[in-house]
Formats: sequence, structure tokens, C-alpha cells
Amino acid sequence: MTRFDDLYTEADTFLHRLDPRVKIFSVLLLSLLAFVLSHLLSLILLLSFIFLLLLLARARYSKTLFALKFVLRFMALIAVLWPIFDPSGTPVLARLGPVTITEPAIWRGITSAVRVGCLATVWYILMFTTSQRDLVRALVKLGLRFDFGLTLAIALRFFPAFGSVMESIIDAQRARGMEFEKGGVLTRSRRYVAVLGPAIVTALRTADTLSLALESRAYGARKDRTYLRDLRMSGGDYVALSIAIALLVVPAVARFAFEVPI
Amino acid sequence: MPAIQMSNVSVVYKGSKESALDQITLEVEEGEMLLLLGRNNSGKSTFCRLLNGLVPHSIPSTLTGAAAVFGKDISRGKVASLSTSVGMVFQEPESQLFCMSAEEEIAFGPENIAVPRAEIVSRVEWALDIVGLRGYNSRSPASLSGGEMQRLAIAAALSMHPRMMVLDEPAYALDPVGREELYSLLRRLKERFGMTVIIAEHGAEEAIQFCDRVVVLAKGRVLADGSPRDILSDETLFDFAGVSAPQLSRLSSIMRRRSLGTGSSIHTIDDAVREVQDAISTGGQEVPR
Amino acid sequence: MTPGGEPGESVVTVDGVSFSYEGGFEALVGVSMRVRRGEYIAIAGGNGSGKTTLAKHINGLLHPSVGRVTTCGMRTDETSVANLARKVGYVFQNPDHQLFCTTVEEEVRFGLENMDFEESESAPKAQAAMELVDIVALRDRPPFTLSLGDRRKVTIASVLAAEPEILVLDEPTTGLDHHDSEHLMSTLRALNRSGRTIVLISHDMRLVAEHVDRAVLMAAGRILVDADVGAVFSDLELLREAKLVAPPITQVAHRLAPLGVSPSTFTPSQLVQQIEVLRGGGG
Repeated sequence: MTRFDDLYTEADTFLHRLDPRVKIFSVLLLSLLAFVLSHLLSLILLLSFIFLLLLLARARYSKTLFALKFVLRFMALIAVLWPIFDPSGTPVLARLGPVTITEPAIWRGITSAVRVGCLATVWYILMFTTSQRDLVRALVKLGLRFDFGLTLAIALRFFPAFGSVMESIIDAQRARGMEFEKGGVLTRSRRYVAVLGPAIVTALRTADTLSLALESRAYGARKDRTYLRDLRMSGGDYVALSIAIALLVVPAVARFAFEVPI
Repeated sequence: MPAIQMSNVSVVYKGSKESALDQITLEVEEGEMLLLLGRNNSGKSTFCRLLNGLVPHSIPSTLTGAAAVFGKDISRGKVASLSTSVGMVFQEPESQLFCMSAEEEIAFGPENIAVPRAEIVSRVEWALDIVGLRGYNSRSPASLSGGEMQRLAIAAALSMHPRMMVLDEPAYALDPVGREELYSLLRRLKERFGMTVIIAEHGAEEAIQFCDRVVVLAKGRVLADGSPRDILSDETLFDFAGVSAPQLSRLSSIMRRRSLGTGSSIHTIDDAVREVQDAISTGGQEVPR
Repeated sequence: MTPGGEPGESVVTVDGVSFSYEGGFEALVGVSMRVRRGEYIAIAGGNGSGKTTLAKHINGLLHPSVGRVTTCGMRTDETSVANLARKVGYVFQNPDHQLFCTTVEEEVRFGLENMDFEESESAPKAQAAMELVDIVALRDRPPFTLSLGDRRKVTIASVLAAEPEILVLDEPTTGLDHHDSEHLMSTLRALNRSGRTIVLISHDMRLVAEHVDRAVLMAAGRILVDADVGAVFSDLELLREAKLVAPPITQVAHRLAPLGVSPSTFTPSQLVQQIEVLRGGGG
């Protein structure tokens, strides 16, 4: 099953090759752009641009589908709910009891839906093309303390494994006749103990070995530390970063300095 | 200089009255491959964890007596400083691998002691090659089989260029073929690099074929210490220590009791075939002793 | 605690079963086998051979993608796991995945409570199960503070308490030393003699050779061979294909086959017996 912590697909595209720090910055800049743009058409243009990049990311079909389905549902929800809760503007199209539907509210709903779509899908560019280890590496490089980075990496590494432990625990209790659906509050809460208890004990035992293993490999031996993979910006990284900056700055200047309605 | 020197070493864990290790005196030469045999709670794990200083420095416990690894006093050396001499591999493959790729796993130790990057790169390739995982650089440890994980754990210790490898029940989660691969890899480390290898197990069946020397532990004490041949010829020893006697050792002692074969000890399958052939072909005649 | 029913009648029927995990990994491919009442069988194979996947079909934890499994007359895909738990006791490989109660006795009674047994019934059942695996002395201890061997015994008692007809054990000797492992195996032998059907999942061929009547050898989700233990050990190549290794004595016996030693020799005493017979014939 696809999960949100597992959207990365290994491939060799220009997006994969970009420095993860550049990707994080560019994605942030494009997110800001979604707020700078106010016109529905420009937002649709931005969304198309993001989709083009997603296409170039060559993510696995199943993962793309999983990720987009989620966003499309959310967009549809906003487009439908907005006009219901926003009665401002004319012409009024319909009145259903306390609910007033107006034409501008419908447009505003669609615009917001597209904006939210941009904000969400732009992060997929990062998630689809950047492995967890590159993300953590970028964060450490950007100033996160190494211990925190390592903790985050370990959490990400053991998260799926812990999922399968939980599955196994649930199976073990079901094999002893436990039914999750049956019974009152008391028996139900006991069932949670039956799953969480073993899960905690297993996690503690793992953590115990883990700390011994870390120490046996000289963790924290000295203050300075070298890295096998260091991040270094290449020409392409600077080009990409420049494009991303321009994409934000040009429309921002156009809109706020010259009041071009975009 | 011997690899391990222990004299009257005892270890008591905090909160326990009994000694986990009780007056151990032992010397292991550099380049020896030693099998540490004993039941659960016989002191095997404590012995292993003492060798890189986890006991007494990280696991609350008291160490008495003199214990040294390559001349370094364990009671003074910290785990991190011993880690360049002693590589440690634990029982469960999954909980000792914590990185997101095999190469990072191997690089982790050298990174911590600030080995230059170019040197780390070559150590990673070297270690992957030795353990037979070439090309696995960016594979996630979680995606490997049990046997591959255990070999990766070995590679991750090898990259520190240790002179000794210590493995606490490394075959725990492996199937028989995985075990054979593991033990022959360890044997290669000894033969190619003169590495000292310490393996703790609670059964002797497979590992004993690969080792030079066997130390049997019971209740924290050394019950026996000798060559595999010596140990294998003493079947009562196994019962006494509560560990499983290898089948060939049982065969050897039954045949002796019934005066079958030449009476020489049986260590390998070849020995056994020869002995049984002899027993059958000499027919009903008594073999002179 | 003797279960009813005719000995020899089929209690598990696996019929043309294929199974794929989510994500498409095909763990079982066209597997058919049966287990008869009172049998003591092993499902053996290397890691990833599909042996645990097959075992989880017996009590309905997994349902076949293709084919069907019938346990004690019930189609597993039409019966709840809870219902099947009354017939099949399943002991997981890692005891830590199931122990959660504050005392051993509570742990042993957990299954019985799930099956709505009255207090008056569950107390003696739990007592009997604890006696069978010899943990009565530990009844008030918290399970997770026990040694691995004892924790394993608690998990076995906790499924035995419901008096299941079939006992499935996944690698029950993993991590146990010789002493504990021998004790466990003799307990299983006694349970089998009293009529219980036992399915052992293992890659330890010495265990299989010395204790089990029939073995199903698996590799890559398929059954390589399903036969009496004697026949299974007659083909060392096949064992190798299943990532298994024959016990040393069996390997010696194979080398000596030209002299008349039977290739299905598993223990040192079996081999010595044959030496004595062959000596008598030759000399």
C-alpha cells in the first residue's frame, strides 16, 4: 500500500539530480507564488506547470494516483463548500433556506480550490524526487543539529517496520480469539492494551539494541564528524534556483508594484 | 600482544546479586577464531559486551579483575575508542541497522571518527565487497533478507578497520544456508586479514566446524577451553553445560563406548565417514586399542 | 483434553491456493496439501519460502487469492478468525508480540475470555494448560520479565488453554538453548501422543528429522515435496533447493549408502545400529 512517507520513486531525472536544498527552497517559492497570484487563469497556469514537473518526475503510476486522488478530493470539497458558506456578492443564483449561493462565491471557491491544489501538489515534486535520506541530509546541512537529524532518520527508517510489528501483534491476538468489533467500552479498552502493550515492549527492546549498536559504532566519539555524501551545489542547481526566484519575483513585482491584475 | 587478556574478571549487573561473569581468566591470541558456547544466561553476552566496553561503561555494572583488549585496559577505554579495535554484531539483524541505505550504514562509524571522505568512500566499497554485497550501496537495509542484513552489520563494523570481530548469536534469525554463508565469511576474515573472531552461540552444531578454539561457559565460569577436537570428544561436557551436543560428537562417543572404529575423535563429516567405513569393514573383529 | 473425532480424517485441506501480498509479491503459488487428525507435520523451508504465509491460512489470518482452505470442516474465508481460534491454536514466532497481561495466569486465560468461557470453566482449563507446559510456579509473575524460553511456554499455554484440535507453532525453538528446546519438543511430542494435531514451522532440519512424522518442504511459495520424513531426507539436492541442510548424520549416511547404510538415518544411535547389523553381515 502506498503511504505518505513512501512517495519517493528512484529515477534519474533532472529533478532527482537537483540539490535537495534547492528543491526545498524552490518549492517554498512556488508555494508563495500561489498566494501572489489571484487570477483563476494564472493559478490554473501555475497548476499546469506543477503538473508538468510532476510528469517529468517519473514517479510510479500507483504513487502518483494515490497522491493526486487525495488532493483532488480536497479541491472538490473546497469548491463545493465555499459557495455554501460565502453569501457575499451578486448576482444571487439560489436561496435554499439559510443558504445563499452567489456567482462570485462560486468563482472564489474554484479559485481557492486551485490555489490549494497548487500548494499541495508542489510539495509532491519534492516528495516524489527526494529520498528521505536526502531530505534529512538537507535539513542537517541547513542547520538542523546532527542528533536531531539522526533521530528523524531513525524514526523514518523504523516507521514501516513498526507498522508490520503492529500487524503481527494484532494477528497474534486475533489468533487467540480477540474480536475488535465486539463488546462494551471496558472490553474494547482492554483490547487496545492487548495491542499497545506488546508494541511498547517490542519498541523498547529494539531501542535497547539500537542504542548499543549506535555506541558500538563510535556514535558521538568526537565533536567534528565527516560525511560520506556531502551536498554541493552545481551549475544546474544555481540555474534552477534562479528560475524559481524569478518565477516568484517577477509576478510579485508586477502585481504589487505595477498593480497588474494577475 | 594477545588480543584478549583477562585475569580474575567478574561482572555484576546493577540490581543483581549474582555475577554474570565469575572469576574468568583467559587469554586469546590475535588471529584466533573462538567459539563461545553456553546456555542462555551463561555469561556469553556479557563476555561479548565487555570486549568493546559496553559493559561496564554503558550497561550499569561493576567490573573487577584485569581485562584488556590489544593491551588496552577495558575499565578505562571508552566504547567509542575501543570501536576502532573491536567490531560488534548483535543478535537481531533488524534493530542494529538504523540508516536509510547500506552505504550510510557502513559509513556511519568512520564518519563518527572523522575519517576523510575519500577514505570513507573506499572503505564502503571494500566492506561491501568483502561481505558479498557489491552494488548494494543505495539499498535500504529494511529491504534485505535476514542473511544480507547480518552481513551488512558485519560490513558496518569492518569499515572501522577493527582487529577483532565479536558476534553475539549472529545466526539467530538465519536459515541453515544463511548460517553457513555467515560462518564462512567470518572464517575468510580470519584467514585473509588475520582478524580475531569471537562468536557466541548456544548450539555447537554448525559454528564449531569453523572455529579454532572453543570456550564453554556455564553460570559465568569457564567450564572447558580447548580445540574443537578436544571439546567434541567429551560428550558429557555438553550435557553438563546444557548446550546441544553436535551429532558427530554423539556419534563419536557412542562408537567408542561400543568399541567401533579406530577410536579417533570425529570432528568433520569426512572423519565420520572414515570411522564408520572402518567400523563396517573390520567386521566382528576387535580393534586393538 | 483429548479432542474428539476420527484419527486419520483430514482436518486441514489446502486446495490450489495462491496468495499475493498487497504490492503484488506472490507468496504462495498453487499450493495443495492436507493435514490429517493426529498427525505431527512440519512445514519446512528457508526464510521467505512461504511457510509462515501457508500456516496463516490454516486459521484464516490470511485468505487465499485463489483456491480454498478448509479447517475442521469450515471454509476459512467464510468463518471468523475468532471462531477458528477455538479449533486452531497458533503460536507466533515472537512471544513479545502477544504477551501483555500483568500475570502469567491472566495471559493464559485471555483466549478463554475472548471465547466467552465462564470463570468456573476457564480456571481449570488455564490450570491444566499451565501444568502441561510446566509453568504453574510462574503463574503470578509478569510475563515480560521471564526468560525467552518461559515466555514462549506462556504463549503456548495461552493457546492450549482453549483445547484446540490443531496446534500451529512458528519456529518455536528460535532463541531457545538446547535444554529449553528439548523440553519444549518433548512437551509437543506428549501433546501429539494424546491426540493433538501439530503443525511445526521450522528450518531446523535436525528438529524435523528427530521429532516429526511428515514434512512439507517449501521454496519460493511452492511445495517441493510432501512426504514422510524418511523420504524427504533421501534427496539432499532438494533440501539444498529449499535452503535447508540435512543433519550431519544424514549427510554421513548418504556418503555411506554404497556400503548399505540407509540414507534416511537421522540420529547417531540409528547409524550405530546399522553399523552393527552391517558388521554382522560382513564379518
